[in-house]
Amino acid sequence: MITIEFSVNDKTYVLEVDPRERLLDVLRNRLGLMGTKEGCGEGECGACTVILDGKTVNSCLILAGQVHNSVITTIEGVGNRQSPHPVQKAFVEVGAVQCGFCTPGMVLSAKNLLDKNPHPSDEEIGVALSGNLCRCTGYDKILRAVKLAAEEGKQ
Amino acid sequence: MKTDVVGSRVLREDSWGKVFGQTKFPADVNLPNQLYGVVVRSPHPHARILSINSEEAMKLAGVAAVLTAKDVPHNSHGVLFRDQPVIADYVRMVGDPVAVVGAETMEIAREAAERIRVDYEILPPIFDPEEAMKPEVPSLHPELQPTNVLYHLPIRRGSLEEGWVKSDVVVEQVYKTPHVDHAFLQPEAVLAYLDERGHMVVQTATQYAHYDRGEIAHALGFRYSQVQVKTLAVGGAFGGREDISLQIIAALLALKTQRAVKMENTREESFYSHSKRHPMTMYYKTGAARDGKLVALQAKIIGDAGAYASWSVNVLRKSAVHATGPYAIPNVEIDSFAVFTNNPFTGAMRGFGAAQTVLAYESQMDLLAKKLGISPLEIRLRNCFQVGSITATGQELTSSVPLDQCLAKIAPYFRSEVETL
Repeated sequence: MITIEFSVNDKTYVLEVDPRERLLDVLRNRLGLMGTKEGCGEGECGACTVILDGKTVNSCLILAGQVHNSVITTIEGVGNRQSPHPVQKAFVEVGAVQCGFCTPGMVLSAKNLLDKNPHPSDEEIGVALSGNLCRCTGYDKILRAVKLAAEEGKQ
Repeated sequence: MKTDVVGSRVLREDSWGKVFGQTKFPADVNLPNQLYGVVVRSPHPHARILSINSEEAMKLAGVAAVLTAKDVPHNSHGVLFRDQPVIADYVRMVGDPVAVVGAETMEIAREAAERIRVDYEILPPIFDPEEAMKPEVPSLHPELQPTNVLYHLPIRRGSLEEGWVKSDVVVEQVYKTPHVDHAFLQPEAVLAYLDERGHMVVQTATQYAHYDRGEIAHALGFRYSQVQVKTLAVGGAFGGREDISLQIIAALLALKTQRAVKMENTREESFYSHSKRHPMTMYYKTGAARDGKLVALQAKIIGDAGAYASWSVNVLRKSAVHATGPYAIPNVEIDSFAVFTNNPFTGAMRGFGAAQTVLAYESQMDLLAKKLGISPLEIRLRNCFQVGSITATGQELTSSVPLDQCLAKIAPYFRSEVETL
C-alpha cells in the first residue's frame, strides 16, 4: 500500500491505496463519485473520462499511484442545477442526451476543450470528442451542443 | 395545430440528472454488506458437465457460496420458450453460465471463479445453420423441435411458374450477413436483495421489467407478487436487454446467502452473455419483365438462432414479411427458417429481422436495373408500393404509402451520380 495525496473537485484527499488500483475504482468505490462510468475497462469508450492536471484521460487506464499530487475534475465538479456549466446547458437544450451513460465523459471532454480553446472549429470539436463513444446515435447533436456552448461563450 | 406538446419543443426531464452525472445506473447502487457475484462461463460451445469442483474456491477467505445447476429451483428462462438454463449443466454455446461465485469483494469473487474446476465432456459442435437443419443432425432442443429447425414460415402468392414465364431478366444471388453485437455502452449490472417481507427486489437496467419479474419468480419458485423489479437508468439496449442477463443469477445468490448481491459484467462478459443480431443467409431469385416490372421472387432466408430461441421466431417472421422490400411482386415464394446451432444465441436487435433482408432485395434491384438498362432509381419508381398495392402476405395498403413521393423528391440530388454507375 502507498499513500497518495490528490485533489478531486477542489477537495484534497489523502488515501492509502494499492498502487495497482485504478483511478476509476478509487473515484467510484472510495470517494463514491458514481458519475464516472465504466463502459469497457480498456480505454476504448471514454465513459470514465476525467480531467487530470488539465488533460482528459480514461480513468480506467490510470493507476492510483500515478495521481499523487495531481488535480482531478470529475463530472460532480462541473456545474449544478443552480448554475449549470454552458456545456451542460447546451447538451440539455440541443437534446444531446439519450441514455446518458456517455454523457459525463462527453461533457468533460467538451468542457476541457472550451477551457483551452473557446472558439474551436468543427474539426477541433470532433478531435476533442474522438475518445468518447456514444451508442445511441447522438454524435450529430453532441457536436451541435458543443458548438452552441462555444457560441454562448462568445457573447 | 399548436399545443403545449404538438408543435412545441420539450426538453427531456431526465437530461439534467445525466449531464450532472447524478443519474443512477445499476452499477451505481450498492447496499452495505453486499456480496459480489461472478459467473463462470463455458469456454466450449457444446459440452456436458461431468463434475464441478469448487473446493479450492471455497478455501479462499471471503467466499460465501458457489452455486451450480443443481441449486436452481426451476432451471429455465426465455422470452418465448423457457429453453435457456439459468446455470447450465448441458452447454450449448460458449459463454453459457456453469457456476456462480458469491464473495465479500469483487476481487475475491474473480479469483475464486478462476479456481473452480469444471470437468466437461466435449460434444461435437455445429456452427453452420444449413448443416444443422438437416433432419439427420441431432436437435439441440429435442423438447422444442425434433430437428434444429425452430421455425419455418412459408409465404405464397400467385404462381411462381407463371412468374418465371413472364420474366425477361432473372437475377439469382446469395447474400450473407454476420453476427452483430448491440454494444450498448453500459455493461449489465444488477443489485438483488430480499426485503423485510422476504420479497426479492432486483434493481437492474432492462427493457422488460414485468417480464423479468415473471422469469425471476419462475426460476426461484416465488409467487409473481413476491418479486419486485426496479428499472434504473438503462444505458442503451437496442434489443440486447430483452432477455434475462444477470437478474436471476443475482437473485438466486441473494436467496441462497440471504445477503444483498451485486453483479457487474465486464465488457468481455457482456459480449459473451447477451444476444446478437441474427446472421442470415438469403437465397434470392428475382425476375422482371422488359418494362421493368417485377414479376417473380423466390427467397429462402436462413437465420442462425444460435443456442437458444430468444425472439428468433418473431425475428424470422419479420424477415419473411419484409422479404420483397417495399416493392409489389405478384408471384412470390418465400421461406424463412430459424435454426438452432452452437453459436451465440441471437435475439432482438434494432430492426428485428427487417434489417438483414434490405441487403438482399435492394442489391437485387440494382442488378436487375443494370440488366434492364434502366437506372436504379427508375426500377424502384416502377415497382414501389403505393396506395392499393398488395403485399406478399396479401395485405392491401390503404393509406400512408408515400415512397413514390420520397423517391421523386430525392431524385434531383442523386440521379446524376447514379446514372454514371
